[in-house]
Amino acid sequence: MAEKQLECTVAAGEHQKSWFAQLRNDVFEKQQPYAIVQADMPFELFQVMGVPAVSNQWWAAIISAKRRSAYYLDILNSLGFHEGLCRYCSLSAASTLARDSQAAPWGGLPKPALLCARLTCDCLQRVFGIWADAFGSEFFFLDNPGATELPARWWEYSRHRWRELFEDHRLKFTVAQLQNLIGVLERLTGRPFQIDRLRDLMENVNRQEEYFEEAYQLICSAPRTPVRMHEQVANVMAAQWERGSEWAVGHARTFRDQVRERVRRGVAACPGERLRLMWVGAGLWHDTDFYTAFEEEFGAVFVWSMYLAFGPDGYIRYGLEDPLLALASRTVSMNEQLHNPPWANEWIVHQARRQRIDAALVLTPLGTKPAATGNRFIERALEDAGIPVLRVVADMVDARGWDPEGMRRRVSEFLTLRVQAT
Amino acid sequence: MRGCVISGSFLPARIFTMTNPNVTAHDGLEADPIERLTRRYENPAAEALAAAANGTPVVGITSNTVPWELVQSAGAFPCVINPTNPDPPDIGNFMEEGVFEDRIRAIFGAAISGDLHYLSLLLIPRTSEQEYKLYLYLREVARQNPRRPVPPVYLYDMLHTRSPESYAYGMERTRSLKQRLEALAGKTIERADLLQAIRESNAARRAIRNLLSLRKPEPRISGTEALACIGSSHLMRRREYARLAEEVLKRIETRNPLAGARLLVEGASLHHRGLHLALERHGAVVVAEDDWWGSRSSGEEIDEGADDLLQAIFEKYYLDTPSPRLFPFETADTWFQQASTGGIDGVVFYLPPEDCVAGWDYPRRRRYLDERGIPHLLVRDDAKSISEACHERIEKFVRGLAAGR
Repeated sequence: MAEKQLECTVAAGEHQKSWFAQLRNDVFEKQQPYAIVQADMPFELFQVMGVPAVSNQWWAAIISAKRRSAYYLDILNSLGFHEGLCRYCSLSAASTLARDSQAAPWGGLPKPALLCARLTCDCLQRVFGIWADAFGSEFFFLDNPGATELPARWWEYSRHRWRELFEDHRLKFTVAQLQNLIGVLERLTGRPFQIDRLRDLMENVNRQEEYFEEAYQLICSAPRTPVRMHEQVANVMAAQWERGSEWAVGHARTFRDQVRERVRRGVAACPGERLRLMWVGAGLWHDTDFYTAFEEEFGAVFVWSMYLAFGPDGYIRYGLEDPLLALASRTVSMNEQLHNPPWANEWIVHQARRQRIDAALVLTPLGTKPAATGNRFIERALEDAGIPVLRVVADMVDARGWDPEGMRRRVSEFLTLRVQAT
Repeated sequence: MRGCVISGSFLPARIFTMTNPNVTAHDGLEADPIERLTRRYENPAAEALAAAANGTPVVGITSNTVPWELVQSAGAFPCVINPTNPDPPDIGNFMEEGVFEDRIRAIFGAAISGDLHYLSLLLIPRTSEQEYKLYLYLREVARQNPRRPVPPVYLYDMLHTRSPESYAYGMERTRSLKQRLEALAGKTIERADLLQAIRESNAARRAIRNLLSLRKPEPRISGTEALACIGSSHLMRRREYARLAEEVLKRIETRNPLAGARLLVEGASLHHRGLHLALERHGAVVVAEDDWWGSRSSGEEIDEGADDLLQAIFEKYYLDTPSPRLFPFETADTWFQQASTGGIDGVVFYLPPEDCVAGWDYPRRRRYLDERGIPHLLVRDDAKSISEACHERIEKFVRGLAAGR
């Protein structure tokens, strides 16, 4: 397990564990509803309605980090789902289909009242439909309208001019779907939705992301990164799953404070930092030690992933007169912003320049094909910007095809021959 | 394992004489409507190129959920694009290996290499997520390389989920598409234009339905022939198609029923005849396929008497057209459940290595068959090069079905 240098990283892990234990208790003892939701869903609505939401991708990462992914994916395959099907979005479902709660991390997922996903690929309705059937739970989806206007430098619009960034018909359609989701949550909780509470929460989300932006800028400007990438991810995502809550805003502030203090004291995550690396794609959850494996020999430190950077650029929305519309704008184009041309390649090069990146590793997860699209555009854009790229063909949660030593050797060769040589 | 290249040499004589795509047209075959449709199918761009050469704007379509009638009523030639080379030069600079289906790779490759230079517009529907990515990729290639001969692209963002919101959204997108086509044509699409196009496409649908009636329950046409005779409807003028299809009908309705186990093919999209050839080589007859290139290309007719013809066209494509994005399961499975329980002896699930979608449906649909005692076989080879081992499994499966009849 990778070293934790910040106290808040430990606190984030402990919080998530206790949060989940509380959720299990509330579900089993008090029959309270909770939801399992895809990572790009509007968690804000669940927060406002008091329905705890477990992120599908977070749970998959937990399973993978606990070295249980091979067990569950083998079971999935034995049920007739072939090995070429997506794993990141289905691993958590596999843990339910296995019907083996003894093997599950932290006691496993209890039966949810609701499962929710945005249909950003052709598999999700299938995975969630199968999963919902296995639980005997309701499934609610948001369909995903396509973008046809994609102005350059989206991050310059997203905070204040977000109405110009996303086409009206897409926003209108998404708002209508959010209203349906609100109706479902009202039915499940027996409580009415209050738009002012959503506005307050959205303002809290803005505060939270502003703290993350400060931390991001501290990492940008410090001579050497004060916090490693995997610790950034642990802190950021613990807060993002509960974004806008008192705990999440407070945790973002604490993270900012601890990063700032390390910068003030001149503390580097890796004192021998000579190369700054970028990780493009979802985390390699089954082998997070990979991210520190090149520090000793090469002084190569992973300083960037999308998780911290996307918080401010992707989430902040100023002008909350219509908070549901603002929430729709936060939700409607995450896939284009993070993964697909022209937005993803343009943004990632911009990020690489801001973070003084020396080399990038780009994850191509053939076991989760929709997450692999856009990568060639990203790789070429980085190379064109003078940043050497190494393509990593691996899955984020499935360790079955992962060769840790072989991949470390490949990265070492890459750093020696392509990065140090220049 | 030795791969088997698709070739007429594998075919039993009765199929070979009727369907071999390698037969060169000559005087004796020129009048044969089956051969004529097959040649259209095997040369998917031929009519489009001819139309473009005559000055007719050609609108390329990447799959089945684009309203053919709208394109036609704009005075353009609508044609499904079906290139066959998934590995054209320099595709590796843009498209990830092993991520996209061969069909999408081939369309992308053709578009960036200039092979689709004759198109006035490439119309990409939201039939699948891969097509949406195709749209984004092509836009980006054109943006980054303005000198590349990429045709103009347009996304027809009709969503396939069944909700009032998706319906309203799709109707609005259809109106926008109409405006785009009017701009392309330089004219307003009038009700009379829509009506004429609907009549033309309905005639083709009737012809296809008549052909389908000669496939099941008593097949008088092989699946390999039928796929070409039906699939060609996406590649040519439908008036001409309907005429030829009716001629085909006259020729085959007097045939004796074909012997052999009757198969339904289910699973990944069938944009070529490799699987049908392989199955029928072993004496089976493919009598239906859950695919828009075959049994599902027709569906119901569009109401010619509707007050709002544009809405009637939209509803045809929204409610009566297959798509991998169709949900919920009850809706998505309806056709399969009906087709698998009447007039067939077994089901072949085709999930080639590139599949990452249809495989999610396989256990559920397999269970449906098991509960009814309907035999089934899973084919995981790429139908373009089926291994000997897979051929042996097909042979055994077909033999077992024949014994059970």
